[in-house]
Amino acid sequence: MAATGRYSAWSLIRARLSRGGYWRPLWSGRCLQPGYDVVVVGAGGHGLATAYHLARDHGIKRVAVLEQRLVGYGNVGRNTTIVRSNYLLPENHYFYEDSLRRWETLSRDLNYNVMYSPRGVVDLALSDADMANLARRGNAMRLAGIDAELLDRNAVARLVPALELQRARRFPIVGALVQRRGGTVRHDAVAWGFARAASALGVDIIEHCAVTGVRAAGGSATGMETTRGFVKAERIVFATAGHTGMIGAMLGVALPIETHLLQAMVTEPIKPLLDTVIVYVYPGHGETYICQSDRGGLVMGGHLDGFPSYTREGRWDRLEEVVQGAVDLLPRIGALKLLRQWAGTNDMTMDGSPIMDRLRYDNVFVNAGWCYGGFKAIPASGAAFATFVATGTAPDLIKAYRISRFASGHLLDERGAGPFPVRL
Amino acid sequence: MTRLVCPFCGARELVEFEFHQTLPEPQAGAYARVYERVDHGQDSIEHWQHLGGCRAWLRVRRNPWTGDVRAVALEGSGT
Repeated sequence: MAATGRYSAWSLIRARLSRGGYWRPLWSGRCLQPGYDVVVVGAGGHGLATAYHLARDHGIKRVAVLEQRLVGYGNVGRNTTIVRSNYLLPENHYFYEDSLRRWETLSRDLNYNVMYSPRGVVDLALSDADMANLARRGNAMRLAGIDAELLDRNAVARLVPALELQRARRFPIVGALVQRRGGTVRHDAVAWGFARAASALGVDIIEHCAVTGVRAAGGSATGMETTRGFVKAERIVFATAGHTGMIGAMLGVALPIETHLLQAMVTEPIKPLLDTVIVYVYPGHGETYICQSDRGGLVMGGHLDGFPSYTREGRWDRLEEVVQGAVDLLPRIGALKLLRQWAGTNDMTMDGSPIMDRLRYDNVFVNAGWCYGGFKAIPASGAAFATFVATGTAPDLIKAYRISRFASGHLLDERGAGPFPVRL
Repeated sequence: MTRLVCPFCGARELVEFEFHQTLPEPQAGAYARVYERVDHGQDSIEHWQHLGGCRAWLRVRRNPWTGDVRAVALEGSGT
């Protein structure tokens, strides 16, 4: 292990007694080598998890992760930290359930506390139709062995006492679907934990190294041009969700992906108020999902901004809409100040499900199109994609995510909204 | 990008406008029109509607990489 060895109670005591100088960087600062077996582009959750599993499960020794900016600068640090597997379609709920099971043990596997908190994800229903819809989703989940529970209004009131249910609303809250094993994970710790564990297995993590082009001979890529020179690669993995459109531009491939912004925001910290994740979709207006971080801030998000953009600027009317939803649910937070607001770029595919496949060359793999579901997918995606890259065969878990599904008509349209990247 | 300049109404806040689609390349086939998006880093031509104003359909030339709006014209005006 790179520096500090295994974390334990003993290592804490030793660090306390050794008067500074004990704690070391989480990953080694080895510089870029001329060639690798696998070069992963993007040191976010998916890229680092893929590199970690390539080294751990498949014994691939020479692996590098290239990152244009810093480890965890992108979407792994910009999401609202929610993990869940409450999907309707079998292809999706089996995949996300695999991920949720891995979240449950990830802190132990990585020897790094990612603070998985199974506090329950509560999807509110505002009408009989909503209830029927949630019951259908819950039943599909339960058939797959995933926990789901339909709550009536009184049960919602008991589970989330902070919610304002009495106020007269045009669309009153009538019930909810709860997945109790869903919850939150500290997102920065996920990036750092995977980076540390991968580095300990010999993976090189190269920050401030942007890829500018792919060099190829025949049907195979031979390596990549980067801002630190050419690097030879037997296999290349792009795990740059949010900027996969730019990768497509670099490779000269048009992708079924549109890039949209999704905002999140956090209030000043307060005492414990909310111990679940609430998802509130209200007709004709918008959406708010809200949870309370361990530091006490209320973390919120909502709909996409609604037009293609890479700028990471959020639009103000969307922010207002999200906050309105939050204050509607929890009127007592109306006096709080927002501390920060930020936006991430999302790969929005034409059916709302991810893409894990080869792209253009037989040794170039792309892990993309995560829409809003990227963060919670990290552990399953890393393990399955590493198997795909190492063996050349996609495991059953991710077979449905091939890119040819759009042409063959095997879409995974979770929302039932047709071939549109966004539905507002 | 916080405002768009409507040819009828002048500069208005973004909340009044709705993005509809990025126009496909003229030579694109049926599959490409429905599913593919060409992301070339240059300006794209988009359909927007001034939904919360005069309701005109607009043809917007914009760069999604930088957020710069180059031109807004009335759809069908030929400009």
